[in-house]
Amino acid sequence: MLEVLTNPNKFFEARKRGEESLRIPVLIVLISGIIGGISAFLTSSIMMEAMTKTLPPEAQGFMSFMPIGSAIGAVIASFIIWLIIAAIFFGIASIFKGEGKFKRTLEFVGYGYIPTIIGGLISAVLVYNFVTTVQIPTITDPTEIREVITPLMKSPMMLLSSVIGILFMLWSANIWVFGLKHARNLSTKNALITVAIPVAAYILFSVYQMGVM
Amino acid sequence: MRKTLPSFLFLLLLIFAIAFAISSVSAYDGISGLGTEEQESSVMITGYQINPATLMCNDVGTVTVTVKNMESDKSVNIKDARMLSRNIKVLSNSYFNIGRLGPGESLNLTFTIKATCPDGIYYPRILVEGEDAQNIRYSIPVTVDSSSLTIGVKDIPEDVFKGERARIELVVGNPRQNTATAVKIATMEENVIPSEVFIGALSADETKVASFNFTPQTKSAHILNFELEFKNGDNYHLTALSVPLDVTESKKRAELIITGIEVEPMLGMKVYKITGDINNAGLKEAKSVVMKVGNAEGIEAMHPYKAYFVGLLSPDDFSSFELDVKVGENGTQVPLIIEYKDEDGNKFSKTEYVSIERHQGTTSSGELPLSVIVVLVVVAIFVIGAIAYSWKKR
Repeated sequence: MLEVLTNPNKFFEARKRGEESLRIPVLIVLISGIIGGISAFLTSSIMMEAMTKTLPPEAQGFMSFMPIGSAIGAVIASFIIWLIIAAIFFGIASIFKGEGKFKRTLEFVGYGYIPTIIGGLISAVLVYNFVTTVQIPTITDPTEIREVITPLMKSPMMLLSSVIGILFMLWSANIWVFGLKHARNLSTKNALITVAIPVAAYILFSVYQMGVM
Repeated sequence: MRKTLPSFLFLLLLIFAIAFAISSVSAYDGISGLGTEEQESSVMITGYQINPATLMCNDVGTVTVTVKNMESDKSVNIKDARMLSRNIKVLSNSYFNIGRLGPGESLNLTFTIKATCPDGIYYPRILVEGEDAQNIRYSIPVTVDSSSLTIGVKDIPEDVFKGERARIELVVGNPRQNTATAVKIATMEENVIPSEVFIGALSADETKVASFNFTPQTKSAHILNFELEFKNGDNYHLTALSVPLDVTESKKRAELIITGIEVEPMLGMKVYKITGDINNAGLKEAKSVVMKVGNAEGIEAMHPYKAYFVGLLSPDDFSSFELDVKVGENGTQVPLIIEYKDEDGNKFSKTEYVSIERHQGTTSSGELPLSVIVVLVVVAIFVIGAIAYSWKKR
């Protein structure tokens, strides 16, 4: 399994010869989603702590479910994003006259989630460290929410977490290049272009978000 | 014998003349003695009333006399009534052509007087002249006593301390023979409450106590001025009282000091969390201790700790506190107000200032430790290395 990280080309070449199976990719995406869910839980907790006074008492009970809801949402979203990424890669690869089933693309894209597990773990530790030390003012006026949340999200610790996320995304992208090369029978160059377009768009968007917030 | 008869007649006339003259003089001014009443007269003065019962010098009062027709079957025509006195000034005019007074009927006649004389008892005379009755002359005793109500200090603390409430008890006495009304004690002093105590009526030889609370704000010699005001009849009178006090600093009071101040910036909104310890370095308990953020430009107390209730702080004891404050662009000094009460409920307030040092762009919780930066670099090298390695192995 570690070969997918060190020599993805050889790994996917070998996997291509076997039957398409989503069992391991689903597990990988699930683990990735759970780790992302932990970060979402921690981030939501501090947001809820800051905003709880802006809501009426009856709504404050509902707000207590927000962190758990965020964590579950992150797990579900990881599967949806997996499907979307695979669909985008599949679509772009079609332009380069790629061949192969969507299931194979989905399977190989799933393997590409392994670096995000490592990156997610590091991010979760950073977010936890931030959440347990940060002083959050209590907001009583809803108009002050943005004033508090913006610096919260723009804090160095959170930015570092995002940077690490981007680094591991690049690693995932590297795996996806070789995965698509074998899943859709593309040249290395075309596979690189197929992956680079959406990943570059995502990274640019992430950097823009960090700058704007 | 011829010469003896005229001499006898002359002597008889002389005796009558002297007797008439004596009776006329005594009828005009009877300074001493009670009222004289003609027994044969069909009209009598049956009573009188003086208000106030005892006048003070320069007081204005009234004398009301009751004239009654003692006849059972005959009316009497009252021609005039007047009051005459050398010492008491009569302000009202005499009564003329009063009219007929039926059998058994009575009439009240009131005269206004002013006591312009020294203290003593005076006897102004009432003259009532009837047309078909004998004249009445009646002397009324009017007492002038200028003794004023007394006011003095009944109780006062031995030591009066700055900022501590001192209870001052004043006693008012009435040494006069009559009741004084509308008695009140007033003061214009700033730190004395109440500013006025109304006592009301004070009977003869009666005393009443009024309490005032004095909370001095400066330590120096103070003179508290009180005014006793009362009415004798319709006449207002004032008596002043000055109470000198030496206000000193209390040596046994609670003394609250703040130590261990820490200012921690919160993310966003320029909110700072101020924590520290409040200590009682004094010798007395501080009760209901409350910490607050004071008013200042660009300073605003924030939830959840706009104020912090510490409660009772015994001598040599301390408690931690926490306050949240939003500091605007102009604010650099945050005023912290310490409020507490002593055992008597006197409220004390003290203000301490905490400096805010701004951290541009970073916060204490948001600063990147060196170890994290190292981790970032290592992770970046590891990821780039892994990518490079995978391409090399391709």
